[in-house]
Amino acid sequence: MVGMVLRYFSLWISFFNNSLTRDLEFKANFLGGLIVDIIFYGIQFFFFSIIYSYVDALGVFTREDVMIFLVITFLADTFYMFFFSGNLFNLNRWMVRGDLDYFLLRPVESQFMVSFRYVKSYALVSIVILLIMLTTLIIDYSKPIGFFNVLAFVFSFLMGTVLWYSVDFIISSSCFWFKNFSVSGWLSHEILKFSTRPDSIYTGILRKVLFSIVPMIFIASIPTRTLLYGPNIQYLLWQLFIAMIFLLFTRIIWKRGLLRYESASS
Amino acid sequence: MKAWIDKYFSVIRMTWIQALEYKANAIVGTFAIFSGLAIEFLIWKQVFQAQELNEIRGFTFNGLMAYIFLCMIVGQLKSSWATSIEMIDSIRTGEMNKYLIRPISFFTYHFMMFIGHNSLFYIVYTTVLILFPILLPGYAFPTFIHIIGFIAALLISIYLSYSIYFCMVCFAFWFGEVRALVIAYNISNIVLSGQIIPLRLFPDSVRNIINLTPLQFLVDFPVSIATANLPMNLWIPKMGMALSWCIFMTLAGRLIYRSGIRVYGGYGA
Repeated sequence: MVGMVLRYFSLWISFFNNSLTRDLEFKANFLGGLIVDIIFYGIQFFFFSIIYSYVDALGVFTREDVMIFLVITFLADTFYMFFFSGNLFNLNRWMVRGDLDYFLLRPVESQFMVSFRYVKSYALVSIVILLIMLTTLIIDYSKPIGFFNVLAFVFSFLMGTVLWYSVDFIISSSCFWFKNFSVSGWLSHEILKFSTRPDSIYTGILRKVLFSIVPMIFIASIPTRTLLYGPNIQYLLWQLFIAMIFLLFTRIIWKRGLLRYESASS
Repeated sequence: MKAWIDKYFSVIRMTWIQALEYKANAIVGTFAIFSGLAIEFLIWKQVFQAQELNEIRGFTFNGLMAYIFLCMIVGQLKSSWATSIEMIDSIRTGEMNKYLIRPISFFTYHFMMFIGHNSLFYIVYTTVLILFPILLPGYAFPTFIHIIGFIAALLISIYLSYSIYFCMVCFAFWFGEVRALVIAYNISNIVLSGQIIPLRLFPDSVRNIINLTPLQFLVDFPVSIATANLPMNLWIPKMGMALSWCIFMTLAGRLIYRSGIRVYGGYGA
């Protein structure tokens, strides 16, 4: 087991080195990606600054809390970009053109290959910047944030990333059934939009749905709550359970999808 | 003139047939509007309830929702970023050679393709707009003149938006890859044109800057006409300003294109 993990880890390092070399060949794109990220962050801050000019708090989230929530949202987005977006976004194209054959022929687990093959290396710079921002905001926060909160936050954040990956993977894999589902990326983006707003705005059935079937609240809101207000064991266990269920779904859907794959003719 | 119309109408017809094959676009697009509206609804509901407000800068809660709903529809109809990405690719890969050896304009051909691809959206959203007075009665299209004004402003918005994208696309002649520029503009445009928050709710300092740019005519202008937030006596002067921006952006696009085509290698980047 440990040997397998180490093998896959060293394989991922090779993917990263290869992607970094490719990305640095297009320096303008590398810089462009960073600029797009900065504009995206600025626009989101601007959006909430307008909302908070009319209200003091959205549920429990004050202006100060929402700033931390936003940085965590950006961090989750950038983590996802770094590891997965270069892969899952292209899954439909690979399937339609038959390029998926190259992934299936390798002596590696195919789901690992299609999920991790291309790393968006420029996101690493954004991750560093966001981590510095988050640390500064935690230090400046009006109440002290304990080490245990940070530890539980890291766990919750990683589970959120697993969920994000799983949801996007399930949507992207639906191309096996639809034959050509080029709008899967757009659909994922629209669903993931629910994770970019504090969970306190969601009420009633929608809140229950976002806690279970479409678990968007776990991506940024629960990690933020864990960091700011302390770990809630019930939330964290439920998050772990849902993350594992969704991860299991990705395995089932991938294996079933591959049975339907007909190479370039599909 | 007839030959010109026939030529480009066939482009619209061709892309219209393609668009019909990908109905998922319209389904996801409609989902995008309603999911976006649901999120905006919940946020603003909390704002109104928490502060016990009846209105914010002249917007009642229902009025604001009607406004944002229309903004989302207009925002999606005028956004040609997907076409722009295709145009950038064709410059970068040298594929645009085919436009140079044929009697077609790179600008007009892609504009017609954009309209053709969006045709399914036009049908879906027209249906939604027809249902609008039933869903939210009294918040939009109070008279027939407002429908005409909205359609005119929407057409201007679609053309102006495409012209702005075209100017950015032409920078690909020099830099090869300008997707980041288009995406950055697209992201900022969503908020700064008033697509998710009405411009009237922006701080005055920001609004004053936006009023100096064509951004105000992309979403806010058609929707303000539809919701009767813009007095009728301002329609003509505003339309004049919007048309001036259209002429300016068209000329700027032509100028950049003509300079760009001189440096175009035609062999791909």
